[in-house]
Amino acid sequence: MGTDESKPADLLQGTLELLILRTLATGEKHGYEIAEWIHAASADALSIEEGALYPALHRLEVRGLLAAEWAVSANNRRAKYYRLTASGRKRLKDTTESWRRASTAVNRVLAAG
Amino acid sequence: MERELRDEIAFHVAMREEQLREAGVADADAGTRARRAFGGAAKVRDELRETWAFAPRLSSLLQDVRYAARTLRRNRGFAGVVMLTLAFGIGINTATFSIVNAVLIRPLGFAEPDRLVMLYERLAAFDDLAGAPFSPPDFLDLAREQQSFEGIAAYVNLSVELSGRGEPVRLDAAKVSANLFQTLGVQPLHGRGLALEEDRPGVDVALLSWGLWQTRYGGDPSILGQTVTLDRRPYTVIGVMPAAFEFPRRGPSSNNKPASVWIPMGFTDQQRQARGNEFNHGVVGRLKPGRSIDQARAELDVLASRINANYPPVAKNAGFSIGLSAVPLREAIAGQIERPLLLLLAAVGLVLLVTCANVANLVLSRVASRTREIAVRTALGSSRIRLVQLLLAETAILSVAGGLLGTLFSRLIIGALPASVTDTLPAAREMSIDLRVLAFTAGVTIATSILFAIVPLMTIERGVPGPALQDETARTTAGSRRHRVQAGLVVSTVVLAFVLLAGAGLFVRSFSALMTTDGGFDSERVLTASITLPRAGYATAARVRAFHEALLTRASALPGARSAALTTDLPLERYERRMLSAEGVDRALGVPPSTNLSWVHGPYFQTLGIRVTRGRAFLDVERVEPRRVVIVNERLARTFWPGEDAVGKRLRWGLDLPQNPNPWLTVVGVIADVADGPLGSEPFIHAYEPFSQFPDFVLDNIPSAFGRHVKLGVRTDADPRALVPAVRAALRDIDRQLAVESIVTMDDRLAETVAPRRLSALTLSGFAIGSLVLAAIGLYGLLAFTVAERRREIAVRLALGAEPGRILRMVIGQGLRLVSIGLAVGAAIAYAAARAVGSLLYQIDSHDMLTFGTVPVVLVLITVLACVLPAWRASCVEPIVALRGD
Repeated sequence: MGTDESKPADLLQGTLELLILRTLATGEKHGYEIAEWIHAASADALSIEEGALYPALHRLEVRGLLAAEWAVSANNRRAKYYRLTASGRKRLKDTTESWRRASTAVNRVLAAG
Repeated sequence: MERELRDEIAFHVAMREEQLREAGVADADAGTRARRAFGGAAKVRDELRETWAFAPRLSSLLQDVRYAARTLRRNRGFAGVVMLTLAFGIGINTATFSIVNAVLIRPLGFAEPDRLVMLYERLAAFDDLAGAPFSPPDFLDLAREQQSFEGIAAYVNLSVELSGRGEPVRLDAAKVSANLFQTLGVQPLHGRGLALEEDRPGVDVALLSWGLWQTRYGGDPSILGQTVTLDRRPYTVIGVMPAAFEFPRRGPSSNNKPASVWIPMGFTDQQRQARGNEFNHGVVGRLKPGRSIDQARAELDVLASRINANYPPVAKNAGFSIGLSAVPLREAIAGQIERPLLLLLAAVGLVLLVTCANVANLVLSRVASRTREIAVRTALGSSRIRLVQLLLAETAILSVAGGLLGTLFSRLIIGALPASVTDTLPAAREMSIDLRVLAFTAGVTIATSILFAIVPLMTIERGVPGPALQDETARTTAGSRRHRVQAGLVVSTVVLAFVLLAGAGLFVRSFSALMTTDGGFDSERVLTASITLPRAGYATAARVRAFHEALLTRASALPGARSAALTTDLPLERYERRMLSAEGVDRALGVPPSTNLSWVHGPYFQTLGIRVTRGRAFLDVERVEPRRVVIVNERLARTFWPGEDAVGKRLRWGLDLPQNPNPWLTVVGVIADVADGPLGSEPFIHAYEPFSQFPDFVLDNIPSAFGRHVKLGVRTDADPRALVPAVRAALRDIDRQLAVESIVTMDDRLAETVAPRRLSALTLSGFAIGSLVLAAIGLYGLLAFTVAERRREIAVRLALGAEPGRILRMVIGQGLRLVSIGLAVGAAIAYAAARAVGSLLYQIDSHDMLTFGTVPVVLVLITVLACVLPAWRASCVEPIVALRGD
């Protein structure tokens, strides 16, 4: 799956990306909305350091997994909205699969004798 | 993009603030907490900058460049040495490349120059030339019969006197066939070229060169239709040629003086019929599209036999025959100069290599001294690429600065080229820095920079900190690898220095051998002057002879003049070449019976210090009356009358046939061989007649300047230059309108002919010294850094009781070991390389022992000097200080 997930520091980074992709699967959002959504969907368990959010978003945008455009938000402010691209969608599917497999394996190990 | 980012972050923070306010937090607090929750915006910005593929890469590069600049400013010594080294190497390279560019690569300025071909006649008598110029009847035959060329045109240099408005001045001009400009594919800038009907005697039209038009006529377009006075006759100006047009091209062969004026060739009836005469017309042709030069050559062979058939039977019976040859114009112009120039380029390439090696070495040492910094950076998360980028930035700055300095340096070099050099190089005037040269420089610079970046790359460990951080003197594998690389670099600079020094030594020896060659005459304290008498005012033989006598009398009477004489050509030149028949000598000699011929007036041999080995010089009475005498050189005597005394023998001009109308001339004296080409060339067979024997009818009737060239030689008691004004005054007295071409000492003329060789010797010496200095710097640098690295080790040794002397010897020993490897390899390479240039050396064996013996000694001495300072520093290391420090 690439070299990202191999380094421990980057595992978290990879997870964050996965979360972002999942968040955007339900529709366009801007950065703040993404952070709130993850917080909400994880039942307050996951709180993203906001400083880490934007670099991740931009990384994904650079790699072509996200597309972004500026628009006016609900409260009449200018905000940058992100959405999944086709390759983003594919990446989401692949990463979700491998994540599921990895977590299953870890669970098995933890559950073993 | 920055703005966008700021807006995004601002929006996020604003949203957070709102949320907090909605949750009941006070306004001011909401703002602060929102911002704090976000975290360091600057850090975010930094990280974000890195993720953008294009812009951030550039901005981090900019960061690196700024950092590198700061570092370099702190290490001024290192930066300075590197930049100067680069400037030197690149400067020399660019300058030489500009010269080579101007000579070989730059287009000739003619349309489709690759279709232009120089044609030559091949005569057995002219064997020492690559090919001979054409004789008019042969040219006309060829022009009529040939099929391979769109057109062929003839041209011949002549010297004319331009008078009228302003000072009379002597110019190089050319007589050209009407279709010459068309053949070359050049249009006049103003006016028109020559019409075919104008190519006959009596048509006095002329085209001016752009330079002449500018300097003498102020670039005034109304010059068209006006007349100019050439050789005291009015010529109508019909056109002006463009600025870039230069013809004939400068070069080593005949008809090589760029003309300021072009006039029609206008062969006379006599010229058209006189076979076997006036072999001095250059011919250039343009191949028909689709024709190759080999096809043309095949046709030329066929036509040669046809032309031979037109020669009178007497010639054929004497075994005379001509051949025709063709050489591409580009080759003909550059030909003889190519090899020395390429050699120069090779030498320059070597210098650049040395430069690169040196700088690489310096950079490597820098890397070594920054191991700790690199390790820290790696620990902080810098990727390998970033590290390379950092180093690349540093070397890039140095390379660019060095390249700029180098370009400046090369400008200086080209500007400083002496006129004597540029005169012998074709297209010398166009030598300047042009885009191609700049591209070459830039290419070299970039290549150098990349080379330096690659070399340190080999020595950076794989981003793993730790050992390097802990102990700098530890012999990590990378460390010793680097040491080996650096040692290898130093050795290679020594090798290259050896090769260059050996080359320079050989050329210097060759040049001094040349200078000490006996030219057969004594050039010291002889003043010379060149005059060409125009037809106007000297239309008859009587007038010409009167001039001779008047000049001889006046010159001999000058205060400070020991003797004076006139001649058609001075030593190192030649004038006429003729066939001769030697009495009683069998025709089937296997040697072409031709000789150089000069006419002299007055005590020529005495004035020029030419030894008379047998018989005598000409008598006074022979100067005044034609007495059918001749003086020959030893070579002639040896060739035709080997083992006998030539004095008393007879010869005559023309082929040895009963119909030969020429009178027999008696040999009255034999002189030592005098060089009749550039010093160092073999003297040819040479004969001398008194000018009284020059045929009147030629002076009276033949329109060319043949016989009207007068060279004055004056042997002086003291400095010959002191007599220059007196000579000028004497000439003005005789004829105020007469233009004098040049008044120089014979020594100066001699120096001119050896100028190219002197240049080679000088530049090679310059390179050699430069590379020697560079090698010394390289060695010094390496040893200095080694010592600095091993300070702790040395300190320990000293503390343990080692003698400083031992340390000294250890360092010097290290240096010498490297040098001796370099010497061995260098000697081998130089030995092989010397063979390649053997043909360019004069009288010196390419494996000259003196050179190959001296060079190693010099190298060792210099390198020992380079070792001394670091060695001394090493032995002076204070144990306590070193142990306490890093």
